[in-house]
This record gives sequence, C-alpha cells and structure tokens, in this order.
Amino acid sequence: MSSQQKISDSPINFAEKIIEDVKNSKDEGVLKCVQCGMCTSICPAARHSDYNPRDIIERVLEGDESILADDNIWNCFYCYTCHSVCPVGNSVCEVNQILKQMAIENKIGYDKLYEYMGFADSYFNAAIGAIPEIFFKDIDRDVPGWWDFRLHLDEIRNELELDPPLMPSKETIDEVSKILTITGFKDKIEKIRASQEDYK
Amino acid sequence: MRDDLKVGVFLCECGGNISDTIDLDKVKEELDVDFIGQFENLCSLNGRKIIRDAIFDYDLDRVVVAACSPISHEKTFQDYVKPLNPYLMDMANIREQCSWVHDDSKKATNKAISLINASIEKVKQSDAVDPIYCQTPDEVAVIGGGIAGMNAALSLAKQGTKVTLIEQSPSIGGHMAKIGKVFSPVKIAEECGMCLLNPILNELVWNENIKVLTNTKVIEAERRAGTYNLILEKSPRYVDEDKCISCGKCAEVCEVEVPNDWNDNLSMRKAIYRPFGQSYPESYVIDMDNCTKCSNCVKVCSMKAIKLRGKSERIPLQVGSIVVATGHKLFDMEKRPEYGYTRYDDVITQSELGRITGVNGPTKGKLLKSNGEVPKRVVMIQCVGSRDEKPDGHKYCSKICCTVALKNANIIKHKYPDTDVLICYTDVRTPGMFEKYYKHTQENEVRFLRGRPGEVVRKGDNFIVRTEDTIKGEFVEIEADMVVLSTAMEPSKGTEEIAEILNVGTTEDGFIKESHPKIKPIATDVQGIFVCGTAHEPKDITDSIMQATAAASKVGEYNYGGVEIEPFIAEIDTERCIVCGECIAHCKYKSMSIHNDEIYIDPMSCTGCGKCLIGCEQRAIAINGNIDEKIKATIGGVLSKKQKGERMILVFLDNIGYTAADNIGVNRLSYPESIHIIKVISVNRVTPKHIRYALENGADGVFIGEFPGDLMYDEVERKIQGVKNRLIELDEDPERITFSKVYIPYFTGLARKLTEFDRRIAELDGK
Amino acid sequence: MKVVPDKDLLLFRSCLVSVEYPGVEASTKFVFDKLGIDYEISDKQTCCTGLGHYSDVFNQIDTSAIGARNFRIAKDMGRPNLVMMCATCYAINKKSVKLLNKKDDLRNHINQLFDENGLSHFKYEKDDLKPTENIYHVVDILYGKKDEIKDKIKYDLSDYKIATHHGCHYCKVHYEDTIGGVRDPNIMDELIEECGCKTIGWYDHKRATCGTGFRQRYSNPDLSFTATADKMNAIGDEDVDILVHLCPNCHIQFDRYQHLIAEREGRNFKAIHLNIAQFIALAMGGDFDKVIGVKAHTVPIDSIIKDLKEVKK
Repeated sequence: MSSQQKISDSPINFAEKIIEDVKNSKDEGVLKCVQCGMCTSICPAARHSDYNPRDIIERVLEGDESILADDNIWNCFYCYTCHSVCPVGNSVCEVNQILKQMAIENKIGYDKLYEYMGFADSYFNAAIGAIPEIFFKDIDRDVPGWWDFRLHLDEIRNELELDPPLMPSKETIDEVSKILTITGFKDKIEKIRASQEDYK
Repeated sequence: MRDDLKVGVFLCECGGNISDTIDLDKVKEELDVDFIGQFENLCSLNGRKIIRDAIFDYDLDRVVVAACSPISHEKTFQDYVKPLNPYLMDMANIREQCSWVHDDSKKATNKAISLINASIEKVKQSDAVDPIYCQTPDEVAVIGGGIAGMNAALSLAKQGTKVTLIEQSPSIGGHMAKIGKVFSPVKIAEECGMCLLNPILNELVWNENIKVLTNTKVIEAERRAGTYNLILEKSPRYVDEDKCISCGKCAEVCEVEVPNDWNDNLSMRKAIYRPFGQSYPESYVIDMDNCTKCSNCVKVCSMKAIKLRGKSERIPLQVGSIVVATGHKLFDMEKRPEYGYTRYDDVITQSELGRITGVNGPTKGKLLKSNGEVPKRVVMIQCVGSRDEKPDGHKYCSKICCTVALKNANIIKHKYPDTDVLICYTDVRTPGMFEKYYKHTQENEVRFLRGRPGEVVRKGDNFIVRTEDTIKGEFVEIEADMVVLSTAMEPSKGTEEIAEILNVGTTEDGFIKESHPKIKPIATDVQGIFVCGTAHEPKDITDSIMQATAAASKVGEYNYGGVEIEPFIAEIDTERCIVCGECIAHCKYKSMSIHNDEIYIDPMSCTGCGKCLIGCEQRAIAINGNIDEKIKATIGGVLSKKQKGERMILVFLDNIGYTAADNIGVNRLSYPESIHIIKVISVNRVTPKHIRYALENGADGVFIGEFPGDLMYDEVERKIQGVKNRLIELDEDPERITFSKVYIPYFTGLARKLTEFDRRIAELDGK
Repeated sequence: MKVVPDKDLLLFRSCLVSVEYPGVEASTKFVFDKLGIDYEISDKQTCCTGLGHYSDVFNQIDTSAIGARNFRIAKDMGRPNLVMMCATCYAINKKSVKLLNKKDDLRNHINQLFDENGLSHFKYEKDDLKPTENIYHVVDILYGKKDEIKDKIKYDLSDYKIATHHGCHYCKVHYEDTIGGVRDPNIMDELIEECGCKTIGWYDHKRATCGTGFRQRYSNPDLSFTATADKMNAIGDEDVDILVHLCPNCHIQFDRYQHLIAEREGRNFKAIHLNIAQFIALAMGGDFDKVIGVKAHTVPIDSIIKDLKEVKK
C-alpha cells in the first residue's frame, strides 16, 4: 500500500481540532506522542480486541478522519490507564471521547447511542441516572435474583433508614430539563431518536 | 563649585573619519571650555603627551575626549589623562554614533556639539574614584570525589593550584568505581573501568597540591570579594588512616553483617569495612549506625588504629573558587511499582547488573539469578523514569542509558551467548560514534523491540513483560527470567544540598544550572563557582572528564587573572544601616550578604543597578561615583544645546545596548540625527525622576533598551510601564517613552527601532 | 500530604449506590458519624450524569452545566466540600470544576445560557470551587481520619484474605490528586490496615479496570467480561475472600456477574464484595441488614463471613 501527501494537505489540522475541544485537558499532549506504545501495553481493550490506542493517535496525527467511522474507537473502556501513565502527557482516553463526540456531531455515531437513549430519558424526565430499561432483560438473565431485589428495593432502603426518597422533586426535575434544553441536549436526543426511527 | 572646574576638550579628527563629516571648527566655536584642541589621531602614542601637557599647561580638572566609542578606547584615554584620576575623563562618541551614522554635515555637527556638551556637563559631576582590584586566592575547593571532581582537582593541582577535594562518602571514586566495564566509542570494546580509574586515583593521591577529605561535607558557605569561606564537617572514620594497613583482620572478627551499599546491596559487608579494593584512603572505616561496639575489632587490630569514640570535626576552609562535582543518583524504583522492582529479586537495575557482571561484585562476575541459575532471557526496559512527564518522572532523556544497555547486553552475550537479550526501547539514542557500537551489538545477536513496556508480573517461575511491539502494532506478553531496568539519572542529594548552601541556581529538574549554555557552559550564576560532571546534567564519563578539565581551565582564568572592577557599585553607609537585610532580598545578582553584623557587598558581582536602594528604608545605600547626578547632568548637557525646531530623543543603553549601537556605525547604517545615545552602567539607574527631567527639559522622546538576558530586565520593564502609567495620570502622552529589547548582533533591528521611534515621535509632534 | 476536610461536607448521592447497593450510603453515614465527620445530604442535588456521559450520550457542556447547578447547591448550603461515594461522580465533578475554572469559553457559554433562560442563580464564577480543595471521594475523607479508625474497631476481620480493587475513576483520571498511589494504588489497603487487617497488596492486574467500560458491559459484553475475567482470575489465584471496592459500578461488575464469569471461565470464584465504607462499618460493628445492606448483594456476604469475633482490647 502506498499513499501520497499533497503539498496542500494539512494533516495536523485534525489534531488541532482535538486540542481545541472543550473536553481536552491535556493542552498539546496529542502532538507530543512518540508512539512508544505504553498505552497499548496496559490497555484492556488492546489486550482483547483490535482496538489500539497508539494507533488511534498515529491516525489522528496523520489527519485520518476516517477514524471517526471506525468501530474500534467504541471499544475503549474509559479506564484512563493510558491517561495515567502516558510519558508525554497525552491522553488517548480523552482523545477517544472527543473523537466519539465528533462522530456524534457528524451523525456517524448516532447508531451507537440508540441503546442508551434510556439514560437521556431518565435524566431529562426524572433527573436521575438509571440503567436503561432496555437492558433489564439481559440483567435479569445474567444476574439471578436481581429483578426480585429491585422489586424489594424500597423495603431494603427503609431498613437502612435512608432518605430522602429516590425521586427528585418536581422543581428539581424542571430545572434539570430546562438546563438540558438550553445546552442543546434535548435537540440532539430528538435528532438521534428520529434517525433511530428511520433506522428501524 | 563644580561649575568652576576647568574642563579641557580634545577633538580627534580620526584621520578624516570624524572631521570629514563634522565641522570641528564650528564645534570649537560653540563650546565654552577652558581648553579646546583639535588633533589628527589622538589615540596614537603622541596623544598621551598632548593631553598630559594640556592638563598641566591649562591646569585642567576634567577632560573630555571627543573621538570614537569608549567601548574601543576608554581604557587608552583613562591612561592618557594621568596624573588625573581615570574617572575624571569622559568620551563623547562622535564617530560610531555620529559621523558614521549621519551624512548631513550640518546636522551631524549640531549633534556632535550636543554630545560633547553632555560629556562636559557629565565630567563636572564626576568624582575621583579608584578602580577595585580583586585577586582571588589561588586555592580551590572541589566538591565531590567522583570521576569529574577527581579530574578537575588533578588538572588544577598540576597547574600549581592548591586543591581540597571534598567527598562525603568514605572513599573517592564515585559511580565509575562501581560500574565494572566502561565503553569507549572508538574502540568497539568494553574496558575495565577500575583499570582506567586507578591511574587517575594514584596520581591524585600522590599530588602534593591536593588534599583529600573523605567523610566530609560542606555545611556552610559565605562569599567575600572573590573569597569563599567554607565550613566543612568531617565525620569520624573511627579508624586512623595513617595507622591502618588494611589487613582486614578487623572485618573478620566483626559480628555485624549489613547489606553492602557499594554492591547495590546485592551482598553483605561488616560494620567495619573497606568500601572496595582500591578505595582511597586505603583504610577501613566503621559504619557507626550499625556498629554494636563489641570491641572485637579493637582487640584484634595490631596497629592500634581503631577508636570507637570520635566526634565530627568542623574545618574552616578559605578558597578563591569552587568546583561543584556532586554528581547524580539513580531513579527510585518505588516510583514505578508496576515494574515489580521492589517485589521481585530478579528485576534489577542496570547499575545492579553492572555489579553482578563486575568481577569484584557479589557473584564475582557471574550472571546469576537469585536462585543461582543463569537467566535464559534478559529483557531490558529503557527510559524508566526518563522521558516521562508523569508525577515523579523526569521529562529529560538521561542520555547514557541506551549505551549502558548496549554495553551490558554485549557483556552478557560475550559470556553467555545462549542467553537471549531483548532491549525494549522507544528510540535508540547512540549519537556520533556510538552508532557503530549499536550495530556491533546487533551483530552480537542482541534483539531489539520497539515499545515501552507497561508492566512486569510474575507468572510461575518466570516474569511476563507486557508491551506493545509498535512496529508490528501488536500487544505482546514476553516471558523472561531476568528484567533489567534502565533507570533515570537524577541530581544527587549532595547536588541538591550544595545548590542550597552555595546559593547557585538550579534547573527545573534540580541540576546545577550553567550561567549560559553557549557563552558560559561551565560557570554557574554565582561568580567563582563552576560546575562539572553529572551535577550539571546527565552525561557519560568522557563528557564528565572533559567538562571537569574545562572547569579547571576556567578556574585558572579566574584565579590567576585577577579582576579589575569599575567602582560604580553600591556602598553601605554603616552609620545608617540597621542590617535589616531587605537589600539582600532585593539583589538579583546575589552580591549582598551579612558579614560581621554588617552588610557586605561583593564588588565582583554588584552591577551598580541600584535595585537595593528601593528596599532600603534607612536610605543607607548609595551607588558610588555620583551616578544619579551624572545621568542628570548628561541629560541636561544634551538638551541645553537643543535648537529651535530640533527633535531630540534620548536613548539610554547599558554596555550591551551601547555595543549594539556602535555596531550600527561600524556597519555604516544610519538612523536619524535626533537620536542621542547615553551610556549608563545599568539602565535600572535611569530613574523615573531622570525621565521626567528629560521630558520637562525638552526631550521629545525617551528610548530605553535592555538585553533580555539581564537579570534586571523584568524589573526595568515594569518600571518603565510604571512611568508610562504615571504620564497617563498626568495627562501626558505615554507614547513618548518606549522600552525595547536589545541584542548585540541585532544592530539592524536596533537601527530600525530607533528610526521607527523617531517617526512616531515626529507624528506625535505633528498633531 | 494534602489536607482533607472533615466538615462542611455535602455527601453527594450516587444513582448506582441508591438503587444497587444502598448499604454503601448507610455504611458511609455510619462510619462518618462514628468518626465525627460533619456532612449533610441534599435532596436538590442530582446525578452527575456519569453513566450517560461515559456512554457518550451527554457531552461536556451538558455535564458541566448540570455540574454548575450542583456546585451552586453545595455552596448555597455552606457545604462547598463535595464528597462522592462513586468514583465516576468523583471524576466527573472534579473534571467539571477544572474545566469551568480553566476554560473561560466554556464557563462564559454556560453562564450566558443560564442568564438568558432565567437560571442566573446557578451561574458558576471562576474558582467558585477548587478541584483539589473541594472535590473528594469518601476514601479521601476516611484517609484524613485514618488515625481515629483503630479505636472504633469492634470486629476482627484479619483472618480473611483481603484484596482491594481501586476504581479507575478515583485513581487515574485525576492522578495528580490521588492519595495512596496510582500505579500501585494503596489508599484502601492502608485504610484496611487501620482496621487491624492486612491485604494481599499487589496482585496481577491490581490497577486494571473492572471491565464495566460503561457501554462495554451492555453493548459489548464479551469484551467487558473478558477484561473482568483477567482480574477475577488473578483474584481467584490469590484465593481472596473479600474484594474491597470504592465504586458501585465496579461493585456491580464483580458482585452481580461473578457467577456468569465463573461459568465462562469454568472455575469457581468465592470472593464476596464489599465497599470500603461497608468493610469499615462492618469492622466497627455495623448491622448486616440495618447498616451494611447485605440483602442487596448477589454474592451472599454470609458465604464468607459466617460469624464475627470481637477484637481483643
């Protein structure tokens, strides 16, 4: 395989975009990568899948934006081990989160969020983070007694004398919904939902 | 009264260089002095007689030489004005800063008149002062007895200098004595380190100019006019060096066994011991922290050399200069626990591998694991603690670890060709000739894997090294039965301590900082203190020796040359001074200290910048030589010759800026005639008062230039901003003042800046 | 050592603790009360968004805006020290504080949204909170009171083989601010030592993830459970009785799925799983049902801890 670099190509622009992202906490870290591979050497996803954090940065620095459509980026555990040891002060874990947000902005990544719309709903409508119901069936299958436990949760909490109750007040829920409306979250979720309908 | 002083002006034609542009007859007409004469070449030997005769004939008190730049001929004319005090003469630079930069004869002549008049007014304010001569004692303290300190000491001693070599451990020799084999890039071979060290050690021991103090540390230091007063603390050895014959009977009967630190704790030694076979002094020593005082050794010693009681001794030492050679230590592996160094015996450092493969080491040179077997596969991990910005790591490359790994890999391969050696690296850094050794290592079937391992774990009898083979792009688990870590070099504890005691600057990494990497790579930021070896930064033995001998040469320059210092430095009025110490805190050049309950100012480092004046509430400090009044008089002298409609810009530059300005003339570039340059000893001496005085008396603009490398740069910049702010408050235009960086070689830039500033001022006046 | 506060704390409720292991909250309160730590809970505080954030549903602006509201609630209560029971809440909140302080654009953007929509009272001013001085995990607070734990211990748990699993989002995200090590995390080992017990210390994969990987557990279970198995095998090889946690999400991964992974690996795993607060509460004499909340556990606590012996004073 061979490739060309045109005089007009500017591969560094892609990395620049990542550096400017609001989530980036590592300044120019991504540019300082020397491809030492320490990230890959301790990465659980690299150990058990085709995901390779060093390669992610190599492709970013090559300006290879096709990485946004690469399923491998979704294998990162967000365990931050690479982030905690990177000798040059880069964080593949963070770069990955930024790549995924870019994929979502470009709608490439919408389908990866379909299963997680439950988070959006529970947060938007009830101001709580709850495991999406869509997974309950799997959990019930994999975890014997879980469903039964959840049915008795209130009793257990009572025995532990825990308050306040699980549900936030209406005022709190309204505030959270409003915040998530003005940040653009609601719009984004609606778009994803629409694309999910088409997908079906 | 100063106005009654008789001033003589000597105009130099400079063989036409000046007189072709400047109308010297007109100059003579315009100036009102007691004597004025015009001569073809004033700097010629003939000039001495001309000037001296005039001084006698006209009874002159002060002299102005209007000629070239003081940078080139001030010393000459200071000599020619004898018997007048040299500081009663001033030079008006009408060549580099007038005839060479201006074409318009009329304007150049007017400017020359202003410049000469400035000098006339200035010399009237000059006082007779004597230059300060400093001669440092020709004695040197070399701190640290490793390979760098030993070489520096030896080189100085051979040049006739008395040297005290101070080593805190019981023997000199340092790391080099420990590392077994060393490598030189020219011969592609490993050589016996001790065999190379020993001749230097012997030579040093026998040199009468060197006194070696082991078990000794510097605990206090104070500097006075080129002399350092050190207080050393010598811990007792408990064994009389002069009596001990190193027979070793004492150690045989000693009951206490402790890990042998010289063998990186890989073997045991007694509480009474000799650090290593060739250690110097050739005497046993007692490790009193572990001694039980059973007295067995005392009883068996036929020389009666052992005394179990002893006290630390304080030794004063006076020297002219100091060489810091306090070296490095190795990275603490507890800071990278994932490599298992503290958990597993067979995870070792390159230093320990050096001991293990050394014939005088714990296994007599056999490469053995802790279970006594020869390893089947040794994996080396590079950059442990180096090139690592994470907490406790070092951002820098330790420079020697690649070659050290190659060396140790080759040593293993020579003796145990069946042992597989794999080096995990990020980059193999073997610059210059070392590249040939890298190739040689590959020929020896040492293997290389490009990847930085993440962790080492134990699985059954072996280790697993987890890494990525970055060339294949594959995660791999490598089985190994010995892992060797190439640990970073970091400043030794002694280096940290001595930096604090001597008050020398350090880098962000804690190494001793050189004064300037190009101009003064061996000097520190304190005059008379030099650095060499790994106290300065990671380097190998060859580089350490080269820097050590260079340090010896720099000490020579400093000690033998003696130093003549312009006397325009700070002076303390001891009647007023309450020794509050504020000035010490203010001084950026570390020139002030307290001595015998008085503030002492080191003339060698004081620049006369006057920063200390600000902190002194008692007003007990003055800068010698009436500096403030001279600057004021110079300003007044220039401006009093301002003609109607003429634009006058005053430019204040110190030695560096002034040299850059001269270079404009030397290269025959030009700038507007409005530019009048005033040389000051430190631009910090130009006070807001001076600037206001200039603006009130007709200056259209004030330009202040400073070299960014000057320690006072930030200070001056802030001060100028303050003056500008004040102008705004007074509803005046702050644009009339400018502050600018100046560099000697960037004279074109200075010419451009001066031209631009003139244009800006012209625009302001146009409004 | 950094100074850890013991007063003006807002105990930040965690969604996963609330619905999966409520005993962690009860145990935390139990231990805090025993140690005289001044804390309160707020019913206005909402979830940190962590689960949704790390499933990529929430972006940084969403999360930091929600964070700004929670930070304001804490400040208004006079309890600017947030203490988290969940490693994810800890990482999320600390990052929001860092970004809101450092990135003027982000802060101004969120404040402008608040201003334009009648939410000005939630505005975040630069340095309202300091990441290192105001954002803590429960283990930090316990560590600050470490010397007082010993006196309050009732039961001797030293006969059990104990190992620790330090959550990634406590140790690694803000590694410059982690107590007790990042590359070989030990804060819980030290706390357990104060209870008169010794942990096994280092084991293979000690610093590795539990394998949840947020979306991995649900969308990529094979990958998720293979990573968990790495760690569980190492813990099994060490014959560990009790694995101590500091994050409810890790807790779920090990406790809820231990059977499943045993099946996949074809071996038995016996370890029970306790949060560090539960462990200390237990050692301090907390009741199994009323404090530890053992009914919420999938691997029965009494499969290992059958009876308790009091420490000899």
